[in-house]
Amino acid sequence: MASDIIKDLLVSLAAILFFPGGLFLLLCGLLYEWIDRKLLAQLQNRIGPRWFQPLADVIKLLAKEEVVPEEVDARLFIGLPIVALAGGLTAALYVPFAGLAPSHSFNGDLIVTIYLLSLLSLCLGLAGSNTLDRFSLVGATRTLTQLFSYEAPFLLALLGPAFAAGSWQIQEIATYTETRWLLLSQPLGFLVAVIGLMGKLELPPLDAPEAETEIVAGALTEYSGRGLAIFRLSKGVTLILGLTLIAAFYLGGVSNPAFFFLKTIALLLIIVGLKALFARLRIDQSVGLWWRYGTLLVLIQWLGMFLWGGVMT
Amino acid sequence: MKLGTMFQDVSSSFLRKPVTEKYPFERRTPPTRLRGTLVWDAETCVGCGLCATDCPANALEVFVLDRKEKRFALSYHPDRCTFCAQCVSSCRHGSLAMSNEVWELAALDRTSFTIHFGDETDVELALAGKTASNAEASSE
Amino acid sequence: MEKVQTSRSFTVPIGPQHPALKEPEHFLITVDGEIVTKAVVRLGYAHRGVEKATESRNWVQNIYILERICGICSHIHATAYCLGVEKLAGVEVPPRAQAIRVLVAEMERIHSHLLWLGVAAHEAGFDTLFMYSWRDRETIMDLLESLSGNRVNYSVNLLGGVKFDVDDELARLIYDGIDFLEKRTQHYLDVVTSDAMFLQRTRGIGTMTRSQADVLGTVGPTARASNVYRDIRVEAPYGAYGDFPVKIVLDERGDLEARFVVRIKELFESYRVIREILDNLPAGELSTRMPRRIQEGETVSRVEAPRGELFYFIKSNGTDTPERIKVRTPTICNMMSVVKLAVGHQLADVPMIVVGIDPCFSCNDRMTVVDRGQGQRQGWTWEALRRYGIRHYQRLAR
Ligand code: SF4
Ligand code: SF4
Repeated sequence: MASDIIKDLLVSLAAILFFPGGLFLLLCGLLYEWIDRKLLAQLQNRIGPRWFQPLADVIKLLAKEEVVPEEVDARLFIGLPIVALAGGLTAALYVPFAGLAPSHSFNGDLIVTIYLLSLLSLCLGLAGSNTLDRFSLVGATRTLTQLFSYEAPFLLALLGPAFAAGSWQIQEIATYTETRWLLLSQPLGFLVAVIGLMGKLELPPLDAPEAETEIVAGALTEYSGRGLAIFRLSKGVTLILGLTLIAAFYLGGVSNPAFFFLKTIALLLIIVGLKALFARLRIDQSVGLWWRYGTLLVLIQWLGMFLWGGVMT
Repeated sequence: MKLGTMFQDVSSSFLRKPVTEKYPFERRTPPTRLRGTLVWDAETCVGCGLCATDCPANALEVFVLDRKEKRFALSYHPDRCTFCAQCVSSCRHGSLAMSNEVWELAALDRTSFTIHFGDETDVELALAGKTASNAEASSE
Repeated sequence: MEKVQTSRSFTVPIGPQHPALKEPEHFLITVDGEIVTKAVVRLGYAHRGVEKATESRNWVQNIYILERICGICSHIHATAYCLGVEKLAGVEVPPRAQAIRVLVAEMERIHSHLLWLGVAAHEAGFDTLFMYSWRDRETIMDLLESLSGNRVNYSVNLLGGVKFDVDDELARLIYDGIDFLEKRTQHYLDVVTSDAMFLQRTRGIGTMTRSQADVLGTVGPTARASNVYRDIRVEAPYGAYGDFPVKIVLDERGDLEARFVVRIKELFESYRVIREILDNLPAGELSTRMPRRIQEGETVSRVEAPRGELFYFIKSNGTDTPERIKVRTPTICNMMSVVKLAVGHQLADVPMIVVGIDPCFSCNDRMTVVDRGQGQRQGWTWEALRRYGIRHYQRLAR
């Protein structure tokens, strides 16, 4: 009996630390970052980095000195990247990753996951406002502004499938979508979800918060060494979790590992294509975009869903 | 007003080979006029020193050992040279040219950055200071 | 533009080290939230003392040091200098040499404008356009390398002519390259005038009216985008521009989009002129003999660099070194327009406005001594300047 408990414990510990959580997730994040960079390079007719470049970047950053600027709260400065990464890793527990059932699941975990994913932007914003650097401050303001603009449409877009499945539990929604491509019935929701993910990750054209030609690296300007490495890792984790969620909800499920990779990478290709095609939006323009079009699109989607539901019953 | 006007470029690149050249693994043949390292022809040189006077980078030193015997030596410093080819134009006797084959001149020590042209004994004599360099530019 | 008074007004330094600027220059931007309320520029981080240095080198050596004032428009600097010195010496340069000078100048303009297009796209966060325009720019770089043997600092000029000839084989290469580039340029013109996302960043941004452009003394494409009729190639043709005239490209709108359009349309003019020169290249010598000492006198030489009017003042005292050379590069004329135009725009637009004038910072750097107390003027010797610099930096280090 006692040995059973210990065995259980060990298995869950391994699940959290190595596979499918923890280390495996981090490595997958790096892999997807490489695919992202390589694809973008290909679309721009360049070579792009070699496969180990993201890993090499992280190792290099980890080996470097971490400079804590004067006049910042050192605990916050060091703690925020860790919280951001922890948020991403915790969210991973509820997501059907790499074709596996989520290791934890309860009714309403979708909301928890989405909020855990938002922790990254929140930590970025806090990290930026923690320093006195002016680029960081402007970057943090923009990060938080962007957070408030994309968050609601993104949430609504992910709730669409939940509504269709009649459950707020990721696992149940995923089972429901296994046989249905919600992309066909909720195309607008899909669009908003994809662009929302880009906003969350501050990818071009929604990269005003870290527009290097204006504010250097935005909120992360003062970060070097370990802090920067951890922030980058958590971006990778957020990227992969976001892709998983969207693929699971809109692209007909991800319970098969092969389909999982195929679908998430196809999704990544769409994102990279959008990245390549558009010029950066100013922060006021992207906020305007979200409130004027993003929200409207999801609302139309929801209206359609209600009407359709009414017709059906 | 259109969206995604570069779609054509982006999509056609998807299956195309990148244009980036993988130097130094792949080298393309340099154009014939490429200005690489300097070469000197001892036969035609008359030791006028004009090349050294006109060199903007003080990269040339001309040593006249014996004008009648036509014994000259030339020291060339590729690290100072700006590859402007003024010396080639200044020389009225066509004694100087720039190679289009030797152009990867980076090195880990400085020895390759001084090239002596001329007869070996002449160069030694010239370096020993037995003769006055007539190039004003060679004063450092 | 409406101003909201909050306590969030602070200054953002752009430069001297900043990813937006690849050269050291300092813009101190005061922002209120995201709106710029004041902009100040400080020059002088890359002052190299080129003008002073020319006084201790002979006329020939100076071609190359002046050519290195700018890495992008190197040829035009050497051309301005050579034209001036030849005028002083009263030497007539063979027509073939003049035509080749203009040919290379136009090729340089193509390379410069394509480079600018990429940089400006990058500033706007449109890296795809950046990558493609620079990829295509390689075509012209390769042509320049085939012609002269160097990708930058072509050193085509000699006092009294040019070094390199254009033969049939090379001409064919250039024709082909230009044909390819012309197609691509048409595409880029379509992109910058029709891409909705990109236009959001350029249309109506940094608008400079014609009178503003006149008052601020802007030159080059920056002025022409505000409908100012100012192009040395047209107004006072030099070199072979008399035989191969260019048409001036103007635009009325004065905003960033207009600056894109003007520069891209100038590319078409350059293609046309290059074809014309290759079709009718005058036969003859490449260079004539030049005296080593230039007779006493002074002259002014004006040419149209890719960024606008480039001005040289050359004074000789009859020896083999110049007495004084004064250079005024186009960026210094356009710089004040940045400071003026940035106010009222968003912080995000500032890099775009800066880059809109196609700045070249190290060539515009100069030193001014402001001495409020005495109100006297004084000349500085090279030695005094050097000692002042050492003292200045020692003070800073302490
Ligand atoms: S190429 Fe120019 S810099 Fe080099 S040695 Fe000749 S004159 Fe001097
Ligand atoms: S200019 Fe020509 S002839 Fe005169 S010293 Fe130089 S190489 Fe010899």
